[in-house]
Amino acid sequence: MSWLRATFVRFRSLFRKRQLDRELNAELTGHLELHIADNLRAGMTPEAARRDALLKLGGVEQTKESVRDRRGISFLETLLQDFRYALRSLVKNRALSFVAIFALALGIGATTVMFSVVYNVFFDPLPYKNFNRYVVFGIQNLANVGGWKGRGFFSLEEVRAFREQNHVFEETIAHNGYRLLYDNGKYTHHWPRGEEVTTNTFEFLGVPPLLGRTFSEEDSRPAAPPVFIMNYRLWQSEFGGDPKILDTVFILDGKPKTLVGIMPQRFNFFGASFWLPVSDTKASGSVVGRLKPGVRAQTAAADLDAIAHRLQKENPQGIFPDKFSIVPETLLDSFIGGFRKTLYALLAAVLLLLLIACSNVANLLLLRATVREREIVMRATLGASRFRLIRQLLAESFVLAAVASVAGCVLAYFALKVVVALIPAGTLPEEVLIRMNVPILFAALGLTLLTTVLSGLAPVLHIMSGDLQSRLTGSGRNVEGNLRHGKLRSSLVIGEVALSIVLLIGAGLLMRSFFILTKADLGFDPQNVLYFRLALPKAYNTNIDVTREKKNALTRQVLERMQGLPGVTSVSESMLEPPLRYDWSDTIIPGKPHTERWETRFEVCSAGYFQILGLPLLHGRLFSEDDVNANRHVMVVNESFSRQYFPNQDPIGHQVKLEVLDRPFLDAPHDTYFEIIGIVPDYKTLDDDGRSWRAFPQTFIPYSVQGFSHRTYMARTFADPKVLLKNIQQEVRAIDPSVEIETSGTLTASLNEFYRRPQFEVLTLGTFAFIGLVLVVIGIFGVMAHSVSRQTHEIGIRIALGAQRTDILSMVFVKSLRIIAAGVAIGLLASYESSRFLASEVSGVSISDPSTYGVVTFIVVAVGLLACYLPARRATRVDPMIALRYE
Amino acid sequence: MGDKKDVWQGTLALMVLKTLEALGPLHGYGIARRIEQTSGDLLSVNYGTLYPALLKLEQEGYIASEWGVSDNNRKAKYYKLTRAGRKQLEREAREWQQTTAILARFLSGKEPAS
Repeated sequence: MSWLRATFVRFRSLFRKRQLDRELNAELTGHLELHIADNLRAGMTPEAARRDALLKLGGVEQTKESVRDRRGISFLETLLQDFRYALRSLVKNRALSFVAIFALALGIGATTVMFSVVYNVFFDPLPYKNFNRYVVFGIQNLANVGGWKGRGFFSLEEVRAFREQNHVFEETIAHNGYRLLYDNGKYTHHWPRGEEVTTNTFEFLGVPPLLGRTFSEEDSRPAAPPVFIMNYRLWQSEFGGDPKILDTVFILDGKPKTLVGIMPQRFNFFGASFWLPVSDTKASGSVVGRLKPGVRAQTAAADLDAIAHRLQKENPQGIFPDKFSIVPETLLDSFIGGFRKTLYALLAAVLLLLLIACSNVANLLLLRATVREREIVMRATLGASRFRLIRQLLAESFVLAAVASVAGCVLAYFALKVVVALIPAGTLPEEVLIRMNVPILFAALGLTLLTTVLSGLAPVLHIMSGDLQSRLTGSGRNVEGNLRHGKLRSSLVIGEVALSIVLLIGAGLLMRSFFILTKADLGFDPQNVLYFRLALPKAYNTNIDVTREKKNALTRQVLERMQGLPGVTSVSESMLEPPLRYDWSDTIIPGKPHTERWETRFEVCSAGYFQILGLPLLHGRLFSEDDVNANRHVMVVNESFSRQYFPNQDPIGHQVKLEVLDRPFLDAPHDTYFEIIGIVPDYKTLDDDGRSWRAFPQTFIPYSVQGFSHRTYMARTFADPKVLLKNIQQEVRAIDPSVEIETSGTLTASLNEFYRRPQFEVLTLGTFAFIGLVLVVIGIFGVMAHSVSRQTHEIGIRIALGAQRTDILSMVFVKSLRIIAAGVAIGLLASYESSRFLASEVSGVSISDPSTYGVVTFIVVAVGLLACYLPARRATRVDPMIALRYE
Repeated sequence: MGDKKDVWQGTLALMVLKTLEALGPLHGYGIARRIEQTSGDLLSVNYGTLYPALLKLEQEGYIASEWGVSDNNRKAKYYKLTRAGRKQLEREAREWQQTTAILARFLSGKEPAS
């Protein structure tokens, strides 16, 4: 153990150097004096006595050095020295260090943020056991008829068949939305949507309850006492998180049910606020399966496809289209969808940014290395080993990177909050928690290391290359050497410019497409329009013959009362509110056979709908009061419809069938032809890509002919439409107290919510691009400033020989222009190749949009030239006398 | 001076410990001189090499140091044996004797008495 003790003592002595040095000095002095005294006693002359003592000791300094070696831990000491020296030299070059740290911190900060987001979204998004293997699936209609494209909702028999007959899932669950009324003793109201789930669901998901228990198989037996489980949010919002409500009885839909469990906060399966048990034999709705290990989603699809086709054969009148296939999707994809691509694009962007930051730092360090070249060459000549010199330079960049990564993490901490706030609600499932965590911190540390090596390597290579001797004897302005590092630095800047062009063009394309999206003329004014949907109690959905009349009567009364409210200019009832929501159908027009899909968007609405959207009648007539009251099969179409299906023909009087109404379970006129009575202008709705507006062929039929649709009401007002909601609520309750307003909002608010996603992309990528541009400015400035200071001598001679200011200016500008132009050219080419990754995010503008490319090129060149203005001005102010003496 | 032997590495530590055991607390110069005298001036000690060795022994806890005053009234650092040092001396001396005994037997060519 003595070596351990020794190491400890040695380590401790690192910190009491001065005292130990003093003591050593005294001891050796004492030694010499004793020896000299002895020698004198032996009869030597004083001079010889001293000489002999020194010789015998082997030199005072040498002895001290070997004692010092033994005393501390020399490797540690020199390392400390390296770091101390690194700190000192970084502090000395304050401006340069600050810029380098700033650049790195930005790069690391932005990268950490994006990595945090990506990690949490892709690698740790859901708290469920083996969620990677969860698959959801639906039926996709491959026939061009039938009026619908797909469904993920299955009947009782279908659910049973899929669950029992498949060979690909380890286990499956079925779940179905459920709404219920809660009676708190004073009044009843709807809870947010819940779900009916098979009893194995909680075990399947593998999340234990926060309180109480989850379902067991007994809970779904007919005679079992009715129970339910509550989610955390409902527990908090309605019951203040009171644990005493566990095991108490709630009156739900008029019947008692016992609350047996409360789930933890991070459990939000399919966004339900409560869960009810359903037996395997009674489950309908959607199915989630956990793939057996090693089975791929595509294999599963083939297996399920066979089951579905068997089902189709067994019940021909079932609701399967003629041609269809099963389309599987992992659960995560079904949640995140297109956002995955967005995140990948942003991740790529942030890596480009990090590259810019690193090359910037490398450039700055390289620049300093050339300035310090003589010092380093001197040290090498005096015997510093290459290893020591490399370690010194690496220490410098390590200190730089360490400071920068601390700054970057702090930056990331706050930036992450901003980014999380910017991610639109509903883009990510609620279970996803985005935060900085340990893996991310490690990633940041890894980045630091990478950055250190990357930015430290350039100067080290530079110094180690070539012959030290010639550098020392050459005046430090060695022409050949200069040219070479000049080239390395220039190519770094060229790279930076190119990368920043790629970022800027990406951001530019997104920005343009964002403006096209938000500034588009929809064909109607969405300002000051309130909408709301009614939640109808079960009484409205019992018997088809009664419900339609009951709903129509309700609608008539609601419209009447709304119209009477102060501040309301027009009111309407429709299925959905434009422009984000729509329904559509395949269209059949007698005498007009077609093979391609004739897709028509349709609306079942009151006559007020045209008024609210401000669609003037172009030809024919609109719905009359009588049409609506008599449930007449009449139809208004828009110009696109007329143009597309009745070219050079008057559509009025023709018959049109909407196939979607034929679905057997809908309370709608089956196999019915509507007569076209009028034409209105187009307005735009959301295109199928979900990112742009388009005018589709559109038809309108009176709401009174059917009983299935949502009842969505709109009111156009003079002032803030939100104020109206309270009045409307009273009016609705006055008509029927059991009817509630389910959702409400304004058209502008829902548009703004819709814009948040592209806004998020524009803001994030725009910020990255801006930071990139700033870094490029720093890079260009650094290189030009340095090259001007190197050329002071040459410029002095030129001025002395009669060069004008403009000559000098153009000399500097031409040089930087050459660098910028090279970067721009490479960047434009790279952008042309890489912007296709953005294709899914960009709409309304080509991904090789010339004006975006033009503007970005202009900005980069302008900003780049601006960056070398200061160095250029300094060049023109060179005093030839001083410059010539400078040598 | 040509036939004098340099001190072997490793043995110096043993000599220092033995010297301190024999003479009690002593300063560096004294130790060096004592080693030379004991060897009958057959060994030449570079006094400088003594100090790192002393430091090492001290770091390992076999000796301790203390400032004191020498015979002719000079300030000097005195080293003395610690308890751990005494044990270490015994151990090292035993090992050394064993080694020399083995070598001696080896060199004399005699068969071990069985």
